[in-house]
Amino acid sequence: MARMERRVWDLLLILTAAPHSGDVVTSALRLSQAVLDRGGSVRVWACGYANMMTQDTFGDTKLPNTRDPEGHYPSPSAVVQRMIADGDGRFGWIACTACSEERGAVHHVPQVRHRSPLRLATTIAGARQTLYLGGA
Amino acid sequence: MSSTTTAAGRGSGPPVLCVLDRAYRGAVEAQFFHALYGLLDLHGQFQRVDVALRGAAVTLAVEEDVYRPSVRLGTMTLDTLPDYRGSVRDLVAEDFTVFVDRDAVTALGFDPQRLVAGTVLLDPAELALRWPEYDQVWFV
Repeated sequence: MARMERRVWDLLLILTAAPHSGDVVTSALRLSQAVLDRGGSVRVWACGYANMMTQDTFGDTKLPNTRDPEGHYPSPSAVVQRMIADGDGRFGWIACTACSEERGAVHHVPQVRHRSPLRLATTIAGARQTLYLGGA
Repeated sequence: MSSTTTAAGRGSGPPVLCVLDRAYRGAVEAQFFHALYGLLDLHGQFQRVDVALRGAAVTLAVEEDVYRPSVRLGTMTLDTLPDYRGSVRDLVAEDFTVFVDRDAVTALGFDPQRLVAGTVLLDPAELALRWPEYDQVWFV
């Protein structure tokens, strides 16, 4: 019987900061992009309120900007979806099922992988490096 | 579209002083929808809305003309990130009084002469003296 090869990601970012609270989400996305630009692979584990970013209720755009109604403003979920699509298999996003349920935020966009916190250690083992961002 | 929002003071709500201490509240996830946008969008409901920037929030009023807030994510260039200096300029243009705490500016190493034009540099103790001019003081 063939043994299944387990995929190893270059970087796992565990994002524990709430969006809109600081520069952490933007830093995580920029850091991810920098790794992708160097040919590496990145997986983000959304912890706590970071799970709000990928709800499918956002749609593709933010609410209208009353001061620039014609402007294009992608929603957080659209940004994540775009990065996953452009990453061509090298960028992944995991929603923590416990954090999501605790917040009633269980309707993630389909590109997001749902994972129980009981698989945190396995996920860390599946990455060459793990970085916690946010300080929760 | 800023021309659709007229000068502060047309609404029936009470005169309000908004105090901001916290500067950075997200970029990619926030884009235009940040605290100063909220003030620009809502002030028509009030007789008067003024803003006091303190602590790290004074950096929102430090004039800067080179940096363009923009980030590339995948094939997308997101150039709709918060432009706080631009928003402070808009506040001034729309007749808000924007107070900036002098001690915070110098403590952070910025030149008090290099603030967005039209903002009002204030010593910390002076701000409290102005509270009676407002019916409400909001800590935003």
